[in-house]
Amino acid sequence: MSEHHHQKKTPAQKTFELLSALLTDNPIYKSIFRTGYPSTLLKQMAVMRSSFYMHIFPTKVGEHGLRLRYSWCMGGITFFLFLLLALTGILLMFYYVPEEHRAFNDMKDLRFMVPFGVILRNMHRWAAHAMVLAVMLHMMRVFYTGSYKAPRQLNWVVGVLLLLFTLLLSFTGYLLPWDQLGFWAVTVGTNMASASPLVGYEGPFHELLGVQVDNDIRFAIIGGTRIGPNALVRAYVWHCVGIPLVATLLMVFHFWRIRKDGFSGPL
Amino acid sequence: MEQEFRSDKSGYMLMNKPGYPRVPSWPNLVWVIFLMMLFITILLWGVSFLAYAPLEEMAEWAKTPNPAKAPWYFIGLQELLVYFDPWIAGVMLPNQILIGLILIPYVDITPTEQGHYRWSQRRFAVAYFTFGIAFWATLIFVGQLLRGPSWQIYWPIIDYDLTGHSWTREGIPLKQGGLKLASLSTGTGMALLIGFFSIGMILPFMVTKLFPKSNVVQGLDRYLKELGYIKYFVVQSHVLMMTATVVKIILRLGFNIKYIIETPWFKI
Ligand code: HEM
Repeated sequence: MSEHHHQKKTPAQKTFELLSALLTDNPIYKSIFRTGYPSTLLKQMAVMRSSFYMHIFPTKVGEHGLRLRYSWCMGGITFFLFLLLALTGILLMFYYVPEEHRAFNDMKDLRFMVPFGVILRNMHRWAAHAMVLAVMLHMMRVFYTGSYKAPRQLNWVVGVLLLLFTLLLSFTGYLLPWDQLGFWAVTVGTNMASASPLVGYEGPFHELLGVQVDNDIRFAIIGGTRIGPNALVRAYVWHCVGIPLVATLLMVFHFWRIRKDGFSGPL
Repeated sequence: MEQEFRSDKSGYMLMNKPGYPRVPSWPNLVWVIFLMMLFITILLWGVSFLAYAPLEEMAEWAKTPNPAKAPWYFIGLQELLVYFDPWIAGVMLPNQILIGLILIPYVDITPTEQGHYRWSQRRFAVAYFTFGIAFWATLIFVGQLLRGPSWQIYWPIIDYDLTGHSWTREGIPLKQGGLKLASLSTGTGMALLIGFFSIGMILPFMVTKLFPKSNVVQGLDRYLKELGYIKYFVVQSHVLMMTATVVKIILRLGFNIKYIIETPWFKI
């Protein structure tokens, strides 16, 4: 600051400096943001190291990895959409009960009664589609840049699992509105499971295990011989608790590996 | 992978060497991420103001819509039901896709080709992956946009009476049975299938023996030698499975063949 002292300051500048000093020059602010605004290289490094949120990132990044035309930021977009989905999803849970006779009416309430309910549901829906698309694009980016090669083989495998869980997350959510669209889509999807060899009642060799319509793999998944109230509760629990939990753990691992292996770059 | 490419490869990475252009994450990376979040939030908000999430009538077991479609990301598998029984289209193929994806890093033998979009050393890998993605996208396109009632082809620009959802009535089957489909005899089918996979397995080696002079073939020879038998077997069986899927689609569409192999237990 001292080198600017000889210049004349406009009243606006003076006010701005006073206000920012008031805001930052006090023990409360300093207890939260320990290093002040990171204006020097040293402070820039320090802020990345010492802040809980920033610590997930490295202190320095290779210029080439930073370019959008390299990474498309697709992994980041996928993760951000996941956060938005968690946020809007939790808010939706306030208004939604996974019960055969209520679920559909709760959708109508969200549309017509709940303040901002429409926008909430729309955001959750479109973000879900976007996340599926983003995760596919992210996988393509990782493939085309060869970023799955040593030492990142394991992280690619974790990625494939994340792809699977993203699809399952979206699929279990599809049933929850309990309308014709989701009901029949999930019927079609889960019917495929009954064709599994050995463990599905319509699959090859199911007789060998004595598998029937009421004890096969599909029955275990949907809790009945057709999509009904049990399937609705199961979809809800998997959608809101089970799969997000597993996906979060996998993402933690995914990000930890990226930090350990370093972001990909030319050899 | 090979010894010199053990798990700690990061040391070889140009960007980890001193002198490689690196910039502090604050503000460079933080900025990119902040702008991305802002952009996505605004975009999502805008879309959500303009487009409503679909909500149809309340679910009813007795009213089967025709067609009943899976969500778009699974509709490729549903589209494959035209050509395969569900245990293949809905169970074996998706599992094999996942297994194949997982195996990719373990059969790739060009470890240095990373960190850039430069494909001259990995033409085959890129071509194969791109074909798979394009295949998947085509199936989604056809299933999502071109399939109408009874899973028949309906061109989206034409406004049919039945577009959207027509409820089935009693006595009208969901599947249309108009087309006469034949199956191969079990012997022919078996021979065809076994022949396809065995010839496919040795074909690349035969080519290298038959045309040892050609440049492309010499490249192939080097690639096969480097790959080794185990990795070769893994890669080639996936290539053949994908090819076989395409061939079956051609047989069904071009020659009205329903099954290649019919046994009392399973049909392919
Ligand atoms: C929920 C799903 C996923 C999330 C949230 C996620 C997130 C991320 C993020 C934030 C990065 C940092 C670089 C970037 O933005 O591109 C990354 C890198 C990576 N991802 Fe993912 N990812 C997901 C799924 C996948 C999938 C499906 C694959 C592959 C099958 C994959 C493989 C990788 C690999 C190998 C890296 C390291 C790339 C490099 O160093 O260049 N991820 N991921």
